[in-house]
Amino acid sequence: MTTTGDFQKRLDRAREASARLKDAIGQVIVGQGEVVEQALWGLVAGGHVLLEGAPGLGKTLLVRTIASCLDLKFSRIQFTPDLMPSDVTGTNILVTSADGSRHFALHKGPIFGQVVLADEINRATPKTQSSLLEAMQEHGCTIGGVRHAMEEPFFVLATENPIEMEGTYPLPEAQLDRFLLKVIVPSPTEDEMTEILARTTGQPKDAPPRVLDRDEVLAIRSACRDVAVAEPIMRFASRLVRASDPATQGAPDLVRRAIRYGAGVRGAQSLVLAAKAVSVLEGRAHVSFGDVQRVAKPVLRHRLIRSFEGEADGITTDQVVDALVESVPARPENVEQAIRR
Amino acid sequence: MSKRPSSPTDRPFRDAFRSFSGRVRRRLALERMLSGAAIGLVLGAGAAAAAWQTRHGALRPWMAAGGALGAVAGAIVARRKRWRDEEVALYLDGRLGGKESISTAIELDREDERDDPARAVVLSQATTVLEKANPKDARPRFVRAYHLAIPLGLAAIGYVSLLPLPALPPPPLPPPGAEQVKLADIKGLDKIIDLANTNARDDAQRKRLDKLAEDAKKLREKLRDGMEKREAQAEIGKLKDAITAERLSLGDGEQRQGLESALGKLAENPDLKDAAKALGDRDLVSFDDAMENLANKLEKEDRERAKKTLEEAAEAARKQNAPDVAKALEEQKKRLEEMAKKNEKLKELGKALGEGLSEDAKEALKDLDSGKGGSKEQQKLAEKLEEALGKLTPEERKRLAENMKKRAAEMNGEEAPGEGPSKEQMQELAEELESEEGQKRLAEELKKMAEPEPEGEGSEEGERQKRLEEAQKGAGEAEGQLGGAPMPVPVPGQGNKPGNKAGEKPGGNNGTPGSGGKDEGQPYAGHSEGGGPGDHKGQTGVVDGPGVKSRASGPINKGKPMPGLVMGRTSGRAGDTANIQGTGALGQAAAGELGAIERSDVPEEYREQVGRYFQPK
Repeated sequence: MTTTGDFQKRLDRAREASARLKDAIGQVIVGQGEVVEQALWGLVAGGHVLLEGAPGLGKTLLVRTIASCLDLKFSRIQFTPDLMPSDVTGTNILVTSADGSRHFALHKGPIFGQVVLADEINRATPKTQSSLLEAMQEHGCTIGGVRHAMEEPFFVLATENPIEMEGTYPLPEAQLDRFLLKVIVPSPTEDEMTEILARTTGQPKDAPPRVLDRDEVLAIRSACRDVAVAEPIMRFASRLVRASDPATQGAPDLVRRAIRYGAGVRGAQSLVLAAKAVSVLEGRAHVSFGDVQRVAKPVLRHRLIRSFEGEADGITTDQVVDALVESVPARPENVEQAIRR
Repeated sequence: MSKRPSSPTDRPFRDAFRSFSGRVRRRLALERMLSGAAIGLVLGAGAAAAAWQTRHGALRPWMAAGGALGAVAGAIVARRKRWRDEEVALYLDGRLGGKESISTAIELDREDERDDPARAVVLSQATTVLEKANPKDARPRFVRAYHLAIPLGLAAIGYVSLLPLPALPPPPLPPPGAEQVKLADIKGLDKIIDLANTNARDDAQRKRLDKLAEDAKKLREKLRDGMEKREAQAEIGKLKDAITAERLSLGDGEQRQGLESALGKLAENPDLKDAAKALGDRDLVSFDDAMENLANKLEKEDRERAKKTLEEAAEAARKQNAPDVAKALEEQKKRLEEMAKKNEKLKELGKALGEGLSEDAKEALKDLDSGKGGSKEQQKLAEKLEEALGKLTPEERKRLAENMKKRAAEMNGEEAPGEGPSKEQMQELAEELESEEGQKRLAEELKKMAEPEPEGEGSEEGERQKRLEEAQKGAGEAEGQLGGAPMPVPVPGQGNKPGNKAGEKPGGNNGTPGSGGKDEGQPYAGHSEGGGPGDHKGQTGVVDGPGVKSRASGPINKGKPMPGLVMGRTSGRAGDTANIQGTGALGQAAAGELGAIERSDVPEEYREQVGRYFQPK
């Protein structure tokens, strides 16, 4: 039986570590606080993150910075249309040993890093994109019939550019679903832009310090898994996800109009996991309704498939998630009424 | 919350939660009780108003108990819908900003969650939230805006309790015709009662007439004691229907075919057209008139032919199993013979007296001789002959008798048919004139002939119909005495007398001599027939048969209403049926319907076929 002190210490350490990580990232990345926060939710929850933004907003830099701050093996894959799956996973090659004998040896691909940057992931063909599936979902990779486990923690950060559509291959739904979060990288504000200019147009600075090692990351992830979630909160997450399906009775009108397919079970799992990450980063041992509502957008936005009508009307999935959060009550109606009174 | 051994970290949370949840539940229960009381008092106020309206004054203050009952009901509902710990925890989290730490703690407080690593931290965080919270912040509001109904309801009940009760509502108006009528003497009913003394055609009719009389008697007794007006009107309506059915009963039912056959035979003789029409209408009074006319009008040869036709018609009726019709026709034949005989006698006597007659008598004799005269001329001649005979000296009478004997002797049975009396008649007349007793007898006979035709001189069937007609009028009078206008009843043949008979018949139906020149028979209001050039005020125009394109060119009965037509009736009574064939008023009307073809606008040449088509099976 654990005592209050044990878990509280783990929480405190997680909070202190995440604070250190944020500080270190902040030395390189100007602004983008919410993006950094959401990237950390992914790291803490043990999920993968898809960063979407226009070119030049610092997506790749952010990932490189996170990798630099973590004492983990970093690898980068630049996705191009001619990239092959074996370029990602690696392959068995014929090598000649010192004694002159020849044998096949595994030449591991960049997927075998701990922090993997899949840059411009939508530029590769679906075949190559799908080479990430096994690694992302099962933390393993099968090459030549032999399964190779990934070294934990395994964390994929992918970027994509929503503007350039020429020569791109939009990620299939199965691939998208593997990402815990889809983070939209916004343009910096005027102050942030000024600060970026000041920092980047002078002499290059030193790389940020490594503030978290492998064990610390794993400890934070373990604490995240231990966070308690009350049944009403899990029910709320379930209702939220079910309401995103237009076939469900009681789904909001906007969902019925603009959505073809809603989120699935993995979406609900992701909601709870991300909410747990939020509570860990805030030093809480339990999840609140607010946590679920806060993570709803990055968790669900890439899991909702818009209908033709939704696309034609220009309704974004963020608008739909907002409608869901607004229409699905967190508490039972009688309790809600008593609170409002 | 389940009882179980507690750890040091559990107790503070549990105690704090218990304290808060108790307060929350109590206030929620109080809110429900107040809501119940408010509903109870509103209903109570409504019930008090209803009690005031229905003049149950003593009940009004008790309606305040509705509030207490509502509060009890509210308490029961509160008990049943008592919040679970999870609901209270969610409420407390919402009110105290606990970020669902209390809700999570409630779950982790269970025994099976003891090994959860977050348990102790969550309980600690939840306890902190509860301990730091101001209990006032966690209290649910139990007073709602609609609880204002409690004082308002009480005030309303108090006000209604003090209000004076409303005035008694006026008693409901009795249904029309429900008033009691009490009449000591209804003369019209006597005419119906008198049907018991009328000769009946057969035993069945005897029974029916007796029943009619009996019913009228009973109605008279009831009216003497007092009865509902509508009931009396219904009874009279029934009597009228029964009388109408009785008037139309000749040739009814199984005898229908016989009647049709007889009509067919009569129609073969053009002289009997009026008679056939009268029989078709079952109007034997008109039949009598027609026979009387024929007796005056026809030459001997035609008369013989008419008699033969009547015989054949009677035979045809008998063959078709219509003995009543046959009997009526035979009687008419006999009447024709007798009337013709009487006529001849008068004419011969008049001729024998010759210049001894007054101018009036000569005129009447001339009319009779030419076939123009009727019963009036006959009466006049008889009166003048009596006078003339009285003035004769014994020698003159003797000479007259001898002359007549000579004429009788000269005849030798060679007289042409249709030219004066027979040899036997002449001899009979001469013998009467010879003896004093015979003269007296002749004078008496002439005196009798000079008088207007007394009652009972028509055919038996005609007399019966007259009595029934009287009875029907009596029913109408009785109806009038009850306070309603007597409704006209379509009478077969009534008012159908040809206009050229004006002045020949006694006016009206009371037997007083007519004033001449006008048929004084009173037309029924609303009927298109009133007979001849009478006063036609208020009548619809007579349908101009040939002018109506859709009708056949054959002779038609002008605009006669269907006999089954109900022109006015009191309200129906229990037991009367309108939908079962042959029962109740419908059954009585059905009898009247049987002669409908003869009285309708069906062309004459098609009546037989149409009648056969509608013949009841």
